[in-house]
Amino acid sequence: MDSGLGNWPSYDPHNFSQLRTSDPSRSSKMAPATYHPTHNRVVPPADQVINTEAKHILLREIYRRAEEKIDLIAATSPLQLTPKRAASDNLTPEHGSKQPRVST
Amino acid sequence: MSIWNYVVTAHKPTNVTHSRVGNFTSPQDLNLIIAKCTRIEIHLLTPQGLQPMLDVPIYGRIATLELFRSHGEAQDFLFIATERYKFCVLQWDSETSELVTRAMGDVSDRIGRATDNGQIGIIDPDCRLIGLHLYDGLFKVIPFDNRGQLKEAFNIRLEELQVLDIKFLYGCSKPTIVVLYQDNKDARHAKTYEVSLKDKDFVEGPWSQNNLDNGADLLIPVPPPLCGVLIIGEETIVYCSANAFKAIPIRPSITKAYGRVDPDGSRYLLGDHTGLLSLLVITHEKEKVTGLKIEPLGETSIASTISYLDNAFVYIGSSYGDSQLIKLNQQPDAKGSYVEVLERYVNLGPIVDFCVVDLERQGQGQVVTCSGAYKDGSLRVVRNGIGINEQASVELQGIKGMWSLRSSTDDLFDTFLVVSFISETRILAMNLEDELEETEIEGFCSQVTSSSVRLVSSTTRELRNEWHAPSGYSINVATANATQVLLATGGGHLVYLEIGDGILQEIKHAQLEYEISCLDINPIGENPNHSHLAAVGMWTDISVRIFSLPELNLITKEPLGGEIIPRSVLLCAFEGISYLLCALGDGHLLNFLLNTSTGELTDRKKVSLGTQPITLRTFSSKNTTHVFAASDRPTVIYSSNKKLLYSNVNLKEVSHMCPFNSAAFPDSLAIAKEGELTIGTIDDIQKLHIRSIPLGEHARRICHQEQSRTFAICSLKYIPSAEEPETHFVRLLDDQTFEFISTYPLDTYEYGCFIISCSFSDDSNVYYCVGTAYVLPEENEPSKGRILVFAVEDGKLQLIAEKETKGAVYCLNAFNGKLLAAINQKIQLYKWVLRDDGTHELQSECGHHGHILALYVQTRGDFIVVGDLMKSISLLIYKHEEGAIEERARDYNANWMSAVEILDDDIYLGAENSFNLFTVRKNSEGATDEERGRLEVVGEYHLGEFINRFRHGSLVMRLPDSEVGQIPTVIFGTINGVIGVIASLPHDQYVFLEKLQSSLRKVIKGVGGLSHEQWRSFSNDKKTVEARNFLDGDLIESFLDLNRSKMDEVSQAVGVSVEELCKRVEELTRLH
Repeated sequence: MDSGLGNWPSYDPHNFSQLRTSDPSRSSKMAPATYHPTHNRVVPPADQVINTEAKHILLREIYRRAEEKIDLIAATSPLQLTPKRAASDNLTPEHGSKQPRVST
Repeated sequence: MSIWNYVVTAHKPTNVTHSRVGNFTSPQDLNLIIAKCTRIEIHLLTPQGLQPMLDVPIYGRIATLELFRSHGEAQDFLFIATERYKFCVLQWDSETSELVTRAMGDVSDRIGRATDNGQIGIIDPDCRLIGLHLYDGLFKVIPFDNRGQLKEAFNIRLEELQVLDIKFLYGCSKPTIVVLYQDNKDARHAKTYEVSLKDKDFVEGPWSQNNLDNGADLLIPVPPPLCGVLIIGEETIVYCSANAFKAIPIRPSITKAYGRVDPDGSRYLLGDHTGLLSLLVITHEKEKVTGLKIEPLGETSIASTISYLDNAFVYIGSSYGDSQLIKLNQQPDAKGSYVEVLERYVNLGPIVDFCVVDLERQGQGQVVTCSGAYKDGSLRVVRNGIGINEQASVELQGIKGMWSLRSSTDDLFDTFLVVSFISETRILAMNLEDELEETEIEGFCSQVTSSSVRLVSSTTRELRNEWHAPSGYSINVATANATQVLLATGGGHLVYLEIGDGILQEIKHAQLEYEISCLDINPIGENPNHSHLAAVGMWTDISVRIFSLPELNLITKEPLGGEIIPRSVLLCAFEGISYLLCALGDGHLLNFLLNTSTGELTDRKKVSLGTQPITLRTFSSKNTTHVFAASDRPTVIYSSNKKLLYSNVNLKEVSHMCPFNSAAFPDSLAIAKEGELTIGTIDDIQKLHIRSIPLGEHARRICHQEQSRTFAICSLKYIPSAEEPETHFVRLLDDQTFEFISTYPLDTYEYGCFIISCSFSDDSNVYYCVGTAYVLPEENEPSKGRILVFAVEDGKLQLIAEKETKGAVYCLNAFNGKLLAAINQKIQLYKWVLRDDGTHELQSECGHHGHILALYVQTRGDFIVVGDLMKSISLLIYKHEEGAIEERARDYNANWMSAVEILDDDIYLGAENSFNLFTVRKNSEGATDEERGRLEVVGEYHLGEFINRFRHGSLVMRLPDSEVGQIPTVIFGTINGVIGVIASLPHDQYVFLEKLQSSLRKVIKGVGGLSHEQWRSFSNDKKTVEARNFLDGDLIESFLDLNRSKMDEVSQAVGVSVEELCKRVEELTRLH
């Protein structure tokens, strides 16, 4: 493996073993048949017709932030079943005063 | 021409853009999948080499193509995304041999700026998601669920705006991409991101690498156990992973393609912009990368894709030259190359320019293209039909039939040619000087005269046996094979004889109700010397009948319909399928499938070959049997993929043909033409013949000059070591040998932009005029150019006159005995003026401003049609009295043009850079100046190909009395190597074919569920509208590939019989 050449991978040793080396200046002329599907399975299953989610990336970001906010409030709310956390020092005032407007 | 146009491909795209290797057609099959822009080819690796399996048209331009293995699957799936933002996942169903769509969809966004560097489509190696980079600043994710089903796609904001490449990394617990990008200071960096499917967002990845090679352009992900990524630059190659960084310097080069060799990712093949193939080796110890090594292997075509196949064989796909199958040898050859080219696959792309000429003066156009780029540049001579290469000929009038004979049945070669005339039979033989001379028979044959059948012995030359027709009846037609004779006499007598050992024996006689017009007993069964069926064509009831032999029992009677009698019948077999061919007196040919055991005739089809009676004969070439149909339009009938095809023979009129395989003229045919007997070899049996003339440089413009029998080209050569590596030339080539016979080098920085052959008023000489531009590095737009006028004197280019211009001369036209030039934004007319000293000069007469860049100009009479860089088509008129050029009308759409042509006085054809075609019409009858000043868009169509050139002309020989011969055509050439034909149809034919097209859309479905209607809709940045007044000939002609039941379905929808549909569509195929 010094030169890196040789020891080429072989998946099926028969492949190309009977290749007749035609004159390489002449080009290969074998033309495959052209495929014209007439069956119905060119149409994928209904659930595999894929589209991009309708929600724009910006809206998604806004909703996500809103949700994060809810989560944060929920985490600090007294209704939480888990033991109440001590109010953190860096909690900004508006977080404490605002109520969630969006339900989800 | 007309506004109702039919667009059809004569030569399919050959530019290979993608290739992948995998187990696609079965878990055991190793396949090579190739994308050629709008088509996919599936090949199978076999001991004999690459075996083509299927050519799959895709209703879209393929932007990305990947093979991937979903969880728990034994076979790979194929992912394809198109430039118009459609994608599909295809699976091969090996039971039905069909492509099944697993998923498809639309991944376009309503808002977004398309990426500058093309689309990227990648699949996570652990098959968790498909990643797409289609718009700047967005990365689209199509997630897989755990059953391998695709889910709704979503976008992620990608901060990097100038993305060069994105790849998935191997061996990451979460799907991770590496992004190669350029910042706004033009520095290049790589960065990794994990894709969080839950949050639909990126998370900072494990590593990043800043300030890479300024030419870094390509990422190669390395599979386990090493993992990480290779970053290929122009001067360095870097290996990067979370815990390793290795770099090596390389000889400056631009890597265009790579192919992984080993499954463990330790070796890669790299192909650069000069066609050099190198091997990149990652050295490693205990799964740790210790270094990189690169080694040049040898030269190939300039690669656009490289796929390691098996056992040291590699596929090189090319956009600029022929694609290749190469072998990597362990030892270098004499030139030090480890690369051995074993096969070449023709690629005409990019067709930058072409011309249509009749080099052999046969009344048939040939297309000569400027193909390929850089070192792989070439001229290609593309010719339709099958040529006969004449070896010998003699004048002989009135030939009525011909047969070749061997001295004995064991002989390899034919010795004699038996030529029969009305009242005599002559025997020709090859003499020692390889000349044909008349001789006495020494064969063993049967001769049929009007009253008897004579069996003549070989050695003694004596009449061995004779069979006499009943008195009062003469023999009208007869046919024979090695052991049988079938003949018909007047009065409808059919007589069957068998040839024994020197004996002719009447076996059976049958009395038919009508006269017999033609017969055949060509053996197509197992015994090559004996037939058990006879085909008989009849007068009066116009039928063809199949009889059993030796009983002469009628098995099948097939009425032909119509009033034209059958003139020649032939039993034949192609690719294991038996046919009965029946030629009529009016040049039509019927073909039937023949069931050899029952004699049943089915699947009747009709084609029109010519207008005169046809004589059918079989012959073989390269061990395959074909049929020669001699008529006013000689045709070879052959079979490919179990479908009968008809290819023109490039001869004017042939009355008889017989195979003649003599020692001096092996594998030849004897052909009786008007007053002449010719012996010649036949081309390979295929429709298009392409001859390649490698130039080693890039030809950009070509034109032919009939008078000097030369071609002139504008070309450029790259000499990497030179100070200015690009040098441009005007070269003169002999039109027969294609050798350079004269060269005129252009100045430094001077580009040859256009070339025409023309003459001027008051000067009988013919000149080559060349338009050039000085492309200076500091200028955005050339401000200087030249028009050079050359004469061909003694086979040399002589510069007769030159004229400096204030810009690039993009186009030249001979115009009213003057020269019309398009120079930057201006159209300028020059007259050819005789100076006092007897020399000529170009003198400016008038001009017209008002274009962005006038790139393409065509003229007709006093009208000038200009294709602008971005202002579509405008129509100008030259006013003789005022000596002025004025604008008459324009199309106000903002089309970026790539070619224009004038179809007729009122209709102009344009191609634009979003791969669309359109026609506009002059509105002479408009009520107001405003209306008259508008070119009305009358036709729109998405071709999906970038057209560089239109030319009037035809690839096929035109017969004035055939219907197809009346249809005017324009030929086009494209970047993908497509040669196409646009045919202007009469309105009624257009309406008929449009109906056929819409029925075919319902029967032939788009692969991957892609819609034909959407694909052909005219679409650019500004609008997308349904195609109109253009028909897709490729779809229409695929009718002939359908099976009978689907044909019936279409026939019912259209309300026209299958036979009539076949005939009309077959006629259209003869346009190209």
